[in-house]
Amino acid sequence: MKAVRLFALEFGRLLHDRLAWCVLLLTALAPAAGLWLYQPATASTMLSLYLANPAIAGGVGGGILFGLLTVWELDRVHRSRADALIDAAVSPRTMAWVRLLALLLAAVLAAVLAMLVWLPVSRWRIGAVFNSADYALAYVLLMGLALPLAILAAAAAYQFTRRADLSLALFAAFAALSLTVWADDWQLCWLNPCVWALSDDFSNLRIFRSVAWMRLTWLAALAGVWAASCLCIRQYGKGLLGSLAHSARRVYRPAIALLLAGGAVAAYVAQPFTDQSNPDQTAMTFYEIPYAQDVVCTGRSAQVFPDTAAGSLSGTASYRFQNTSGQEQTVAFGINPGYTVCRVQADGVDVPFSVGAYQEYNEALLETTLPAGEQVELTIEYGGFPQESRNMATMQGGKEISDAYLCLENSVLSPRLMNVQPGPDGYPATIEITLPGSMTAIPFGNSVAEVVAEHSDGTKTWRYTDNGTGGILYAGDYICEEIQAGGLTIAFYYGRKHQPVMEAAGAAGAVREVVEYCTAHYGPLPFGADGTLKLVQSRVAGGGYATNGASLLDEADFTAENLGDTGKGGAAGEVMIHELVHQWWGLGNMFDTAGADSAWSAEGLTVYTTYRIVKALYGAGYAQEQYVDRWRQAVADYNLDFYVRNPDYLAGLPEEKQLEITGNLAYVRQYCEMPLKILKAEQLVGGEEQMDAILRALFNRELDPSYPYLTEQDFLDACGLTQEELNLDDDLEI
Amino acid sequence: MTIWKYECKRLLWNKFFCGFVLIVLFYGWQVLSSVTILGVSHTAPFSPWSFGDYLCRMIPLLWMGTLLLLTFFTSGKARRVGALTDAAPVAPRRYALARCAAALTGALALALGCILQAAVFYGWYFDWYGWGTLALPALLSLLPVLMFALGSGWVLGQIRPWLLYVWMLAPVVCRVLPLPGALGIWSGAFFSGYPLTLENLDPAWSVPAGVLAAQCGLLAVGAALLAVRPVCAKRSQAG
Repeated sequence: MKAVRLFALEFGRLLHDRLAWCVLLLTALAPAAGLWLYQPATASTMLSLYLANPAIAGGVGGGILFGLLTVWELDRVHRSRADALIDAAVSPRTMAWVRLLALLLAAVLAAVLAMLVWLPVSRWRIGAVFNSADYALAYVLLMGLALPLAILAAAAAYQFTRRADLSLALFAAFAALSLTVWADDWQLCWLNPCVWALSDDFSNLRIFRSVAWMRLTWLAALAGVWAASCLCIRQYGKGLLGSLAHSARRVYRPAIALLLAGGAVAAYVAQPFTDQSNPDQTAMTFYEIPYAQDVVCTGRSAQVFPDTAAGSLSGTASYRFQNTSGQEQTVAFGINPGYTVCRVQADGVDVPFSVGAYQEYNEALLETTLPAGEQVELTIEYGGFPQESRNMATMQGGKEISDAYLCLENSVLSPRLMNVQPGPDGYPATIEITLPGSMTAIPFGNSVAEVVAEHSDGTKTWRYTDNGTGGILYAGDYICEEIQAGGLTIAFYYGRKHQPVMEAAGAAGAVREVVEYCTAHYGPLPFGADGTLKLVQSRVAGGGYATNGASLLDEADFTAENLGDTGKGGAAGEVMIHELVHQWWGLGNMFDTAGADSAWSAEGLTVYTTYRIVKALYGAGYAQEQYVDRWRQAVADYNLDFYVRNPDYLAGLPEEKQLEITGNLAYVRQYCEMPLKILKAEQLVGGEEQMDAILRALFNRELDPSYPYLTEQDFLDACGLTQEELNLDDDLEI
Repeated sequence: MTIWKYECKRLLWNKFFCGFVLIVLFYGWQVLSSVTILGVSHTAPFSPWSFGDYLCRMIPLLWMGTLLLLTFFTSGKARRVGALTDAAPVAPRRYALARCAAALTGALALALGCILQAAVFYGWYFDWYGWGTLALPALLSLLPVLMFALGSGWVLGQIRPWLLYVWMLAPVVCRVLPLPGALGIWSGAFFSGYPLTLENLDPAWSVPAGVLAAQCGLLAVGAALLAVRPVCAKRSQAG
């Protein structure tokens, strides 16, 4: 009771402090910095710009202010030399608790005040896509929880050192680390969470979960450090060690601190959000697994049950094999590292299996034994929370599973068969997925999903057929618009909330123009036997991909912010253009996997064609500035890079650092150097018309079934050029 | 000399200084192993430019450390013993200068810690030991900054001790403000931007006149503030 009364007194005293009120008000105003000064969320969605950025800036500003206030308040008694008096009346540890709770309550007040102040502003700026749940979660997780972390850190620093100066220095360094060198480590950036984008049209639960995990990890860690610092609170005139020895006599005190710190370490190590994929993005060991001899897969099926409340998934996948080898065989599957395999059965009998520790490209290796029978049905029960690749940890959010949106790519949907040849009909697949009634299932490819059952709980089971070892499925509250262009019917799927923006942006017209441009310049798509192509809007992803019969459109391609940005011209939707062009370069014409020393890939021609389309649609000046000048700059930077010029030094660096550097450099070669070379080739062959004719001939050439890929030599031969002629001069003038 | 030695012992031989050195070294290692290791402006991580960039990133912490050292002289406790120290048989101006020299020694010790750490880092990762080339960037980056921190902090601390704490934010604010090129060391842009404007690759260390003038100006102002204030203090004491 005494502690409660003390807490009321302390909190009342805090509210009479002008400095505390100043901190409270400044914290409430701190989100304003996110509108102009500090914008870590780089996506152009409305929620990124007007919710994530202000909330993160509010957390940073408020956290620093509350950290300073904490040191000020904790030092008050010592400063006024009243500690001997206070310590005689109340236990110093009780007072530490009381002060901490009072500060925490003040932080709650500040966060609530900020939420109330910024609610109308956010609602006004975000417009039609404003969502109360996203708003509340953003302010609680991105801003609110930064304040207690800062208070705990500053309080612990003070209790350890009992010096305001050293506490300030410790707190400043701790905050500075989060804002600078730890800013790209999603688990370490305690003050400024790694949120690069929030979706306007779909849900954001995956990224909020990730932030919540980081916050709770730090909360446990700092609570542990604070609990340890409590042991060091000076008492009975003793110093740090004397006080520690005295306080630690009650074993539960250090035990609590250790428990909290241990919990934090466990949460850090066992985080369920990102995997342990090999950081070497060129590693392809899974593709080197030898095929099982005399075994073919004649078909597969999967029943998938997403748990949209938990963001997880469970499923059963069945594979039909023909094993004519007369002996047991080892079959390998790629599975998302977040999943647990519960059971593997062959014809209803349990068989041994193992999931390897090595992970690559967001997959772990599941190996199981296929019995010697000629016809075997292998069934795998799996499930769990899908993890994202650690190589993309700063851009989390893609593996969203909610009742508003889900995206299940390849081994996230079902285990991906890796070492068994297909049967005569390929790998025919039947996939069933049970979704909330409001969601539409969209297989990313030629397949069409249809509802086969409606359940009493409002869910529906969708079924579609496919052919292949993987497959991608999108689902959400989509609407479909049909567009006729280039002899194709394009099924254009986008989120219902996005309809006004799509209409205002003329997105359908832009899609039509791109397809007609490519068809006119390079020819119609060869694989569109049924004459359809899907264009699916994804949750903001920072890029996209394409497959036969489907391309992706990033939500950020068309946003209300882009529409209002006159400086950006009409050139929104460039990811959409890029991914549509991949239907011609990359899918219509395939490219072999690029070697480590080669820049040739589908990306070169795709980026070049995207540039040509943007030039035709939005003007030469814009294309020059946004494409050619940027390629030149990136290639110039690449050529000048210290480690490119001095590979010996690169070899001496830690492996992780080497991979980080070489990964960035490979990107420049494929996405900037190659388009620049193609642009040079264009000039050498006589201009755009001649290059279009060459590319059209290449696109429609007779394919060699044994090696159907378009190679750099094919391109050079068609242009009548040599590799040396395409070398870029030092000044990159072409 | 005796006073300087005494003040040095007081400033440097205590828990604060040891703790602060650890903080600086931890932060410095994080910067070296995550940012400096990549090199700036296409130059080697051990070029004067990358080294200067590293020092620029350390400036806010060194600035803070220098000002915190000054709080030893301006805190309430120090003021309470002021009557005793003022009675020492030495001219107040000389006494104040000895104190400032001790604070400068502390600041330079912190800076030396950063520099030594970089030297260890370069030897460890790159087997590089050409430390002589790093002397000029270190002098240009740190000396004016630390001297200005000391001079301005000394004056502010005499006016109101709490102003020292507000003044600690100055380098952080400078990083956000669009400062002119001459103050590039303060905005953090000089070492990463200026080499790109030079024609040759791996440019040798050079400084544009504007930056040199600004740094010399700051050094002079810092020194002047140190020299001026004790005289004022003497006058007010006499009055």
